[in-house]
Amino acid sequence: MNRMIKKSLRNTFTAYLFILPGLVFTTLWLFYPMIRAFQLSFYNWNLMPNIPNTFIGFDNYLSAFQDDLFWLTLKNTGVYVLVTVLGQLFLGLLLALILDQVTKGRVLIRTLLYIPVVTSIVVAALLFRYLFNSSDTGLVNYFLTDVIGIIAKPIPWLREAQTAFIPVFMLGIWKGVGWAMVIFLAALQSIPEEYREAASIDGASHTQIITKIVIPILIPTILLVMILLTNGAFKVYVEVALITGGNPLHRTEVLLSYIYYQGFERMNFGYANALSFMLAVVIFSINRIQLRQQKKLTHDI
Amino acid sequence: MNTKKYLRILIIVLLLALITACSSPATEPVADTDSPELVSPEEPVEEEAEEVVEEVVSVVNVSFWHTYNEESPENEMLTNTLIPMFEEAHPEIKIESLSVAYPDFRTKLMTAIAGGVAPDLIRADIIWVPEFADMGALAALDDLMPDFNDYAEKVFPGPLSTNYWNGHYYGLPLDTNTKVMLQNSDVLTAAGIDQPAKTVDEFWAQCAAVKQANQDTYLFAADGTFAWVMLPWIWSGGGNIMDEGFTTADGYLNGPETVAVYEMWLDMYKEGCIAPTMLGEGIDTFSGVGQGLYAGFDNGPWTYPILAGQYEDVELVASLFPAGQGGSVEVVGGEDVVLFEQSDAKDASVEFIRFLLSEEYQLKMAEVGQIPVLSSAINSDYLQDHPYYGIFLEQLATAKARPAHPLWSQIDEIMTDAGQLILREEMTVQEALDEAVSKINPLLGN
Repeated sequence: MNRMIKKSLRNTFTAYLFILPGLVFTTLWLFYPMIRAFQLSFYNWNLMPNIPNTFIGFDNYLSAFQDDLFWLTLKNTGVYVLVTVLGQLFLGLLLALILDQVTKGRVLIRTLLYIPVVTSIVVAALLFRYLFNSSDTGLVNYFLTDVIGIIAKPIPWLREAQTAFIPVFMLGIWKGVGWAMVIFLAALQSIPEEYREAASIDGASHTQIITKIVIPILIPTILLVMILLTNGAFKVYVEVALITGGNPLHRTEVLLSYIYYQGFERMNFGYANALSFMLAVVIFSINRIQLRQQKKLTHDI
Repeated sequence: MNTKKYLRILIIVLLLALITACSSPATEPVADTDSPELVSPEEPVEEEAEEVVEEVVSVVNVSFWHTYNEESPENEMLTNTLIPMFEEAHPEIKIESLSVAYPDFRTKLMTAIAGGVAPDLIRADIIWVPEFADMGALAALDDLMPDFNDYAEKVFPGPLSTNYWNGHYYGLPLDTNTKVMLQNSDVLTAAGIDQPAKTVDEFWAQCAAVKQANQDTYLFAADGTFAWVMLPWIWSGGGNIMDEGFTTADGYLNGPETVAVYEMWLDMYKEGCIAPTMLGEGIDTFSGVGQGLYAGFDNGPWTYPILAGQYEDVELVASLFPAGQGGSVEVVGGEDVVLFEQSDAKDASVEFIRFLLSEEYQLKMAEVGQIPVLSSAINSDYLQDHPYYGIFLEQLATAKARPAHPLWSQIDEIMTDAGQLILREEMTVQEALDEAVSKINPLLGN
């Protein structure tokens, strides 16, 4: 009896030992900064270490509501999330469905489509910036004017906010679609063949099989992917910072780039921290909605 | 079985090593100014069993951050010639210079200050000095250096004034510069222009000739609508941004002379005389001038080595900035050397400052495009006979410094945005400038 208790205690102890390094790092690099940031958001925080900071309560949060730029960046971020998440979802699902039917070269194509996911975001962003250069030396403009010839003059992509978002959206979708596709592909291949065979014996057409059988089975996966993609999309930063830099006139800022601007260029660290917590609240609420939807839908199935 | 397990462990360890090696090295300040190091030089060659006499010298590290590119001739001169020169004369001081790119400099510096690990010295853009001094980050050099006045008298008053804030001098000038009009001689010849313009009106009139020779050429290019670009035009046009006492911008930034400058600018932009780089598009200004796409720009002495690198055949025609109602007034640039209050090595840093202000340092840096701040150096043969410094020194005589206000970078941003709104034709000139004034005045305490 004693030996069994000792063994189980030792097991628990070993378990804690394994967790300890990760726990230490997470506390140091995640929990502690989070708590400090929350504390900082209530101050008019001064850079100099020896000068005391003034406590201003909720002022930082209140001034966010009156900040026009904050609302603009919130809207920009929302549009980015919507466009890129839906883009990655649909394209990823489509590619997965197609690839599922392919037998020869599937691994090769899957790898090729996954490569954007692991490329450096910085390199990719700079490449997109050069591709969409406003003059006709930009590859996209050259393609549209000289090769296809559907427009006469080169488009000044980065001059206006609406057109400037196009390379940003495209980068976001291009970079993530491989990942969504791989997840869907794995889920598709776990659907037992019998379901499809049974359906086609009963006379269902190919499209009907997909819409009535495959997709409903995939719904939990779709929702999971959507939640993960949404979380990631809210944290967009590099794409905007390197392609547009927030220009023109801060109209292409997203929440994270605006937080960076407020913190590191305007030196308003208290305000920047307050903004980041508001972003956290937004992401959290959206997640809750998505999770509730997931519970509902999986119940129905 | 055993070998397989060890092989797996080896692979994992190698992967870990690869990952950590491939992650970008954190750029940290090199100096550790908290404690002196013990350095023992090589032992003398001994024979038999004699005692080894080791000299132990305690060395103080002084960290010096600057914005020279790592590969630039300035940095080479600094690290390979000048710093060794200093260290030889002062074996107890070791200078650790760090190159930080200009766009990242402020951020990196702010982080270091906040963390209490600011460098000892930096080569600061002159416009940052009032801001850092106001924050309390800098040491008042006029109090710290007993021989401050000796050095203050040796430098030009204009550059010296950029170190002044609220009753004290927080640094000494390190180098100065200004811009002159530099144009691609091939473009001028093709347009039939044999003499650069002397007045603003002449200058803009040349646009027609340039465009006639080549429809796609622009007369003038600049990187944006920020103060460094616009101020020469505003000042030469007889306008200003604010009054001398920095109390208000009303009547200055939105005054009739400044409005006239921006109106002319907008007209010229619409006629295709000004390059789209103003709005951040198109080929960059240096390449454009080198390729003859832009007739010219106003820029500093660094243009010569930059263009010589890529466009060796291009000949630049230099002339004083075209004069307007206010004369030919360019903007003064340059850098000051400032000492941080947090520094633990103040005496050693001051010693290095003395070296930076010495004639040998200033003249050596003059060879790589840094105009000296010492009046004695200016009068030296080297500078008087220099192939292209002459015109910059001439322009410096009338050049003005940007307002030494701690909130200058915010004021600059507001001005830049106003210029962008004007060129994008989203607001009229008067509207945009009025709005800018309403945003700037609160910063001036209005």
